Amino acid sequence: MTPPTDRPSDTPVSYRAAAPGATIVTPLDSLYALYDRRSGLTQLVAQPVPAILSALAEGVATPGELQARLERDFAVEGEAGALAARLDELVALGLIERL
Amino acid sequence: MERSEDQRNGAPDADETRAVAGRRRVLQLGAIGAATIVSVRPALAQTAVSVMTCEIPVPDPARASQYIAPDGTLVAPGTPGAVPGSATPFAGEDVRRALTQGGSLPGTSADQNEAYLNYIRRLQAGTGGFTCFASIQMPR
Amino acid sequence: MRHGTALRIGPASFRIASDWRAPIALLDRLYADYPRPEAGFADFTVRLEAKRPWRRWLRPSIHLGGDYMLPDALPLSLAHGLLAAEMGMNLQMALGWRRQLLLHASAVEKDGRALVMTGESGSGKSTLAAMLGERGWRLLGDEFTLLDLDRPGVRGFPRMVSLKNEAIAAMAGEVAGERFGPLLRDTPKGAIRHLVPRRDAIARMDEGALPAVLLYPRFGHAAAVRPLQKSENFMRLTQASTNYVALGERGYAALTRFVDTVPAFGVDYASGAEGLATVERLWAEHGR
Repeated sequence: MTPPTDRPSDTPVSYRAAAPGATIVTPLDSLYALYDRRSGLTQLVAQPVPAILSALAEGVATPGELQARLERDFAVEGEAGALAARLDELVALGLIERL
Repeated sequence: MERSEDQRNGAPDADETRAVAGRRRVLQLGAIGAATIVSVRPALAQTAVSVMTCEIPVPDPARASQYIAPDGTLVAPGTPGAVPGSATPFAGEDVRRALTQGGSLPGTSADQNEAYLNYIRRLQAGTGGFTCFASIQMPR
Repeated sequence: MRHGTALRIGPASFRIASDWRAPIALLDRLYADYPRPEAGFADFTVRLEAKRPWRRWLRPSIHLGGDYMLPDALPLSLAHGLLAAEMGMNLQMALGWRRQLLLHASAVEKDGRALVMTGESGSGKSTLAAMLGERGWRLLGDEFTLLDLDRPGVRGFPRMVSLKNEAIAAMAGEVAGERFGPLLRDTPKGAIRHLVPRRDAIARMDEGALPAVLLYPRFGHAAAVRPLQKSENFMRLTQASTNYVALGERGYAALTRFVDTVPAFGVDYASGAEGLATVERLWAEHGR
């Protein structure tokens, strides 16, 4: 988990993926196996997790920037706040960092 | 992020790919309460080795002099309603049978059985018999 | 300790030391055709110990020890000494083996390809493996299947097959008496009898096979076959392996490769004959 940084309160939060090669993603069926080399942990994940990790691999992004990258590649659907919930899950597991 | 075998970003499958030409793949972000990640936990050795047998002392040898109340907590000897501990530990298989099929532990009266089973249900990591109890509980 | 023996099964070797002669004599008889470890070196030591010196004779009770051990282990009677030695070897593998990925599964080989069967006690995986071993298949293993880490493959690890309760009678009708260990009654798992693999399976233990079909047998249910999705199969196999997590990335690669390339089916069956017929049918469709 990333400790809180000295970010002024009006700067939007942003997210960063792990370094290239830090995670291995293996499609199985509608689910994907994921191996995190840094922790040695294996996860079983569903979309949109691999899509989010790929989009963040392009560079640090705010939630809005991330949404835009996803909409560039997909027809995005889901409850308002769903992206934030997915990002929280990924931060909690140490797969991405909140800056 | 390294991709094994598959070239594309989050490989589509039948659930996600719309067959209609010209429409893009749907990405469902999901609902707020839903979880999309399950972590793999290590398997306990006892459950993966079919002929391992273990035992659970009631109570833990370090607290052998204490009595067991009907709710399974340890109390001073002679407390009304409490029973003394068992002289011999119980085999894991016997405990599993008693917990899942509702029978009783071998050689126990109804009062002893209730107290002992409640004691076992309250076992914590670090207490004698906990590993055995944990292996009984793992869904097989 | 005053009595001991050593044996090798596939890639793993064991020294078994004991305060009593009887379990060692039994191991020497039953494992007579097995190779011994090179130059006295063994991967693991298993110890059958008396807690106090006089407990060698007075109410003898075997406390199991070894390089690797689990807490809360139940002591065993001297009559169950063979069971103690087998459990001890199982524990060394389950807790200490790192050269292959371990699955709690039986496996048999035909034409260089392996049929792997996984499930908990009572599923029938041991009995099916034993029966197939008498019907033209070569036994690769009963308790553990060893998956190669860096390429597809299953190693041979043909220990004695542990038959329980009704399976004992089923096999006794098919196999000569000298291939059986003693009947062990009143173990915590009921009656157990160990079956020595056929000579051929022992002689060819260093010959592996390519995994071709994975089954999840369930004995005692109405006949049914259900293909498993890869993700379900993957999750279940992580729970059927004692060393998946410890093996890290190599374990992940081996298991994802296995799940991606080997078709898996749940097989429910009500009788041995039904189970065998279903296995042979699935092998004909997917194993070759």
